[in-house]
Amino acid sequence: MPLKLLVQLSARNLTRHKRRNFMLLMAICVAVAGVTFMNSLIRGFQYDMQESAVANLTGHLKILDPGYLDDPSIQKSFELANDWQPDIAAEQLDGWAARIRIPGVIMSERETRGIQFVGVDPAQESISFLGDADYDGEPLRDASDRRVIIGRALAEQLETKVGRRLVIITQGVDGLNREMGFRIAGFYDAEGTGLEKVFVFTGIKTLQEMVGAEVFTEVSIKLTGTPKEFSIKAVLSEFFTGLVVLDWKELEPQAAAMFLFADAAVFIWFLIMMGALIFGLVNTLITAVMERVREFGMLRAVGMRPGAVIVQVVLESTFMMALGVTIGLGIGVGLVLWAGEGIDLTQWAQGMEMAGMRSVLVPRLMAADLILVAGLSMVFGVLASLYPAWRAVKINPLEALRR
Amino acid sequence: MTEVVVRCSGVTRTYQDEAVPVYALRGVDFEVRRGEFVSLAGPSGSGKSTLLNVIGGLDRPDEGRVEVDGTLLNDLSQSELSDMRLNKMGFVFQAYNLIPVLSALENVEFIMQLQGVGAAERKERARVALASLGISELEHRRPGELSGGQQQRAAIARAIVTNPVLLLADEPSANLDSGATQELLELLQRLNEDSGVTIITATHDPMVMSYAKRRINLRDGAIVEDAINEALPA
Repeated sequence: MPLKLLVQLSARNLTRHKRRNFMLLMAICVAVAGVTFMNSLIRGFQYDMQESAVANLTGHLKILDPGYLDDPSIQKSFELANDWQPDIAAEQLDGWAARIRIPGVIMSERETRGIQFVGVDPAQESISFLGDADYDGEPLRDASDRRVIIGRALAEQLETKVGRRLVIITQGVDGLNREMGFRIAGFYDAEGTGLEKVFVFTGIKTLQEMVGAEVFTEVSIKLTGTPKEFSIKAVLSEFFTGLVVLDWKELEPQAAAMFLFADAAVFIWFLIMMGALIFGLVNTLITAVMERVREFGMLRAVGMRPGAVIVQVVLESTFMMALGVTIGLGIGVGLVLWAGEGIDLTQWAQGMEMAGMRSVLVPRLMAADLILVAGLSMVFGVLASLYPAWRAVKINPLEALRR
Repeated sequence: MTEVVVRCSGVTRTYQDEAVPVYALRGVDFEVRRGEFVSLAGPSGSGKSTLLNVIGGLDRPDEGRVEVDGTLLNDLSQSELSDMRLNKMGFVFQAYNLIPVLSALENVEFIMQLQGVGAAERKERARVALASLGISELEHRRPGELSGGQQQRAAIARAIVTNPVLLLADEPSANLDSGATQELLELLQRLNEDSGVTIITATHDPMVMSYAKRRINLRDGAIVEDAINEALPA
């Protein structure tokens, strides 16, 4: 196979019909750039959703009493020894947070609401949204803080202010209701009213005192880098006998389903764009072959084998695709960098919140996606050239030379 | 090495034209010996191009045998025919059929690339071929930058650069003026006499016929005359 000749012919044939080839090249560039940018938005959406799910007190992994998910009450609590943290390599671990999270009722002078009452050690909460939250007033000082922080949305519902007192009723370990008054330290902003309306926080020691035992209902673990949830989950399951270890996908099945859907969306979007493009590519290649019937006839007549004719057409398509993919990826990456700070979707904030996202969508470039787009585009380019190549091979040299 | 380069025996070729069979060739028998310059002549539809195509392996006879340089073409596959054309035959087409994106030199070279000849040898042989046809100074020009006569010379250079056993030319003068035609024919004559290249040309141009040593006249697919050109010196 005279590969060098075929490469030379194919490359030079791209300079024929410059306008038509330029238009096709632009179409490939736009499709590839569009897919690259769109994929980065989908990935941004996907990982923002995951980070939100992990940050809203879930963590990558959580240790719970086996019955807690069905009955999230103080009766499903557990005790922790002083040295309760198993050895996990520091580079894999962002942090631990042991909490009490139980249902309760909150009352202001004007309103009453059902809440999730959470006892936390603020020093451990860098792994949850509390670590980054904005406050009106101030956050909790330590695990013994006897004040509460509530979400801004809940504060509006309760028609209360920072510094005022609230009463919270919850159940103690003895099954009896406990009632306690708390002063409001501050209002937190959770970038979403869903969390703000539900979670009320106080120092964990205060809540343990209120329920009457030094117990916990959950230990949340946040991992770093690429989470190795499966291997660490096994270590934790062995360590915390009698408790269950669940990952964020099990705790947030809706977010997990959306996460998987985003993976599929990347492929679907790619297939739609490339599917549309492939018709243009096939059409252009067929036109290019039909315009060169006599040339292909001559090549066959002087002794070029059918396989070489196929390779020539395939190479032309491959070169065109390679050029378009390279430029398209460059444009796509440029667009992602340009939108690096994120796209403000505040006007659709409510819908975004429902999907568990923040109101600023930050595109996220993933090398695997770029490789996927480049690789599959080339495969599509080769596939698109097979029919035109077959047409070129079917050209009868005799009839072609008579033209 | 056989003296007979082409041997056709009872070659018949029929085309179907609206349910009526058209006999392009009717039992043609003839031989061409090494070093001959043969013109296949006759009016349009006489079968001369069909006979040239059958000899060149571009078309297959319905009946009869075609041998080129001792190889029976009837039994060869398409790929084997491709190899046969590549290695033993040279083609000169009416419309030159040079590749427009290659220079004259590259157009001559490419056929050797198909044969797998090394780059240095390829370039040298292509340059010698172009020089022998008097267009070496045009080697970097693309076909669009050459006149019809120059393109036909480049096409002949491409055809002879592989030292073929047989050079087949189909209406080689059809697109040339009389001056360019005369130059072309003198060139073919020189190739035939100096290099001993066997040439078969299909033509209805009397000027081309006058340069051939042997003239075969066809009519309705059959040879009606096979004569030596007495006007040429023996």
